[in-house]
Amino acid sequence: MKRPVLVRRHRPLRGGQPLAFAVGLILALAVGAVLLMAADHEPLRVYQRMFEKSLGDQNAWSLTLNRAVPLGLAGLAVAVAGSMGLWNIGAEGQILAGAIGAAWVARIGGTWPGPMLLTGMLVGAVIGGGLLALVPAMARARIGVNEIITTLMLNEIALRLLQWLIHGPWKDPDSYNFPLTPVLPAQAHLPTLFGRAHFGVIIAGAVILVFGIAASRTAWGYELRVAGSSADTARYAGISLKRKILTVLLLSGGVAGLAGGVELSGTADRLTEGISNGFGYAGIIVAALALMRPSGVAAVALLFGAVQVGGQSIQIIGVPASISTILQAFILFGAIGAGVFVRYSLRLVPTGVDASGEGGTAA
Amino acid sequence: MKRRLFGLLAAVLTLGLVAASCGSEGVTTTRAAFVYVGPVGDAGWTWAHDQGRLAAEATTGVETAFVESVPEGGADFADSVRQFIDDDYDVIIGTSFGYMDDMLALADEHPNVVFEHISGYLSNDTNFGNSFGRMYEPRYLSGMVAGSATMSNQVGYVAAFPIPEVIRGINAFTLGVQEANPGATVEVVWTSTWFDPVVEGDSAQALLDKGVDVLAMHQDSPAVGEKAEAAGARWVSYNSDMSAFAPNAYLTAPVWDWGPRYAEIIEAARAGTYTPAPDGYWGSMADGVVALAPIASDVNADVVAAVEARRAEIIAGTFHVFSGPINDQDGYEAVAAGETLDDGALLGMEFFVQGVIGTLG
Repeated sequence: MKRPVLVRRHRPLRGGQPLAFAVGLILALAVGAVLLMAADHEPLRVYQRMFEKSLGDQNAWSLTLNRAVPLGLAGLAVAVAGSMGLWNIGAEGQILAGAIGAAWVARIGGTWPGPMLLTGMLVGAVIGGGLLALVPAMARARIGVNEIITTLMLNEIALRLLQWLIHGPWKDPDSYNFPLTPVLPAQAHLPTLFGRAHFGVIIAGAVILVFGIAASRTAWGYELRVAGSSADTARYAGISLKRKILTVLLLSGGVAGLAGGVELSGTADRLTEGISNGFGYAGIIVAALALMRPSGVAAVALLFGAVQVGGQSIQIIGVPASISTILQAFILFGAIGAGVFVRYSLRLVPTGVDASGEGGTAA
Repeated sequence: MKRRLFGLLAAVLTLGLVAASCGSEGVTTTRAAFVYVGPVGDAGWTWAHDQGRLAAEATTGVETAFVESVPEGGADFADSVRQFIDDDYDVIIGTSFGYMDDMLALADEHPNVVFEHISGYLSNDTNFGNSFGRMYEPRYLSGMVAGSATMSNQVGYVAAFPIPEVIRGINAFTLGVQEANPGATVEVVWTSTWFDPVVEGDSAQALLDKGVDVLAMHQDSPAVGEKAEAAGARWVSYNSDMSAFAPNAYLTAPVWDWGPRYAEIIEAARAGTYTPAPDGYWGSMADGVVALAPIASDVNADVVAAVEARRAEIIAGTFHVFSGPINDQDGYEAVAAGETLDDGALLGMEFFVQGVIGTLG
């Protein structure tokens, strides 16, 4: 009897990443083609449309970039925590808290000039997301409470807070009791770059870049990785774990909060319950597929955004939403999941033999 | 430079996928696109709109298309609509409240496209209108059936959000319950969701556990009916005749029939005569946009006859659901004898009538 086992390669395949990406993508498209044919659609026509509408011209790119912004920021939030082994499952709630923070600034600063108001809103967003992350950060740093549970549970609390605000004190008096705030003042909209793309693209790009440099080129980033891989080593090296946990989770929450602020002033115009649309949860997938690396987050978020925009465009030619969603998942996991084989090889091992001697099985 | 960068990125990201551009320039025939908030197969709100689309397609011969499960509040709706317009669709119908702001902006952006929004209050003077239905009329009739069916005099109501549309429905239903059974009460549970079978089912079960033996709902899934069926209770469904989901529990349902209205909008757009109804179109049972589904065969013939009589009066305009005297939940006069609430008061309704148990939030 033999069983398949993933065995770590002695060194990653040279140039394997793009190859894995291409092979994974082609496999995913091939599997998707079978699905599409089973549902009576022409795969080539569907794929061509997906491509054209997500990456085919400037306008398509602008839609894809706009999608990538909240996905990238949420993914970065999760990745920042993940780089030191912490799981921020609360990006969704932090996005809501960030949107609330930004909306609050817009309420009190409705007459401020645009740049001041926008800056204030984005700062409010970061503080909002950071405040929500403060509770799990303190609990984890001081008394070791598992941050996975606390961040996850705070999602619900942020949602309730948002619901209370839009059903209660912040409700638009002209909305016939519908749960939404008034539309933002005109100068509270992020400026447009090209097509539909808004300034949030630059903000997200800059933030991801800064974290990318901080993670890979600074002592701070190095300490983060040390603390993440071994708490004992970190302690021995004189790194304050408590402080690291606190700052990392606060930063993580702040970045997620920023996503909420950018969505509010770039896309949504007013605070509603639908302000996040699950970006916080998608961010976990983005970060995991990006192996918790900021540069990877940007690439995965772009692909994710393109797949979402493309997936939406094929519904317009009659592909059902469910098939579109399955297809999106195929492409995403095919293209990125295949990257596993750059680091691991699949071997058939006789049962009973421990393969871990060759370098450890994939966890 | 920007273009080249885009080209490069596109090539990297799609590796091997060859982009062959194909022109989709067509002749200017009218084509109608529908954007739905839920899945078309849900038997609820979205299903009812899709039946309307199919009916309108059959009567007008106009090509239609739809996208389903498009969330509110983000970029999805506007992105979808722009793509439809790129593909030469010139009638856009959005069937969820949260699409309203986007539709107003898009209508400005595309003056040659007709936009119709369902269940909102914004419109413009040229190419953006709003439609809804006086669901409170069949709600009242369904309340009469429910009031006759309860043995415990406790009726339950699983409801989504405390907005005027839902509150109006609960009040109309309760007034109907009390016409048939003055001692009965209607207890409301809020779910904070339009479509979540688990939450809807749990809320129904909580009401059943309190002794309720008839359940009504303002939700999009049949989950409430499944709980009623399992408990041997009765059920008033919503949106469509959902009797197949709970054949023994099912009593009747206030339902939508959007086909004629959609056909009217599409015909007007094709003829170039579309103008938004000032203050919105609010169709009644007389117009056919709302109706009462067939009543279960085991309901007493006297009850059916009473409901039929009321239905005829409502359609004839001789009976209005919200004519006084009506007391509010605390027993204070809300509508004086001889008075009838006007449309403004109905659209902004924010009180419960006497007999409703529950709070507005």
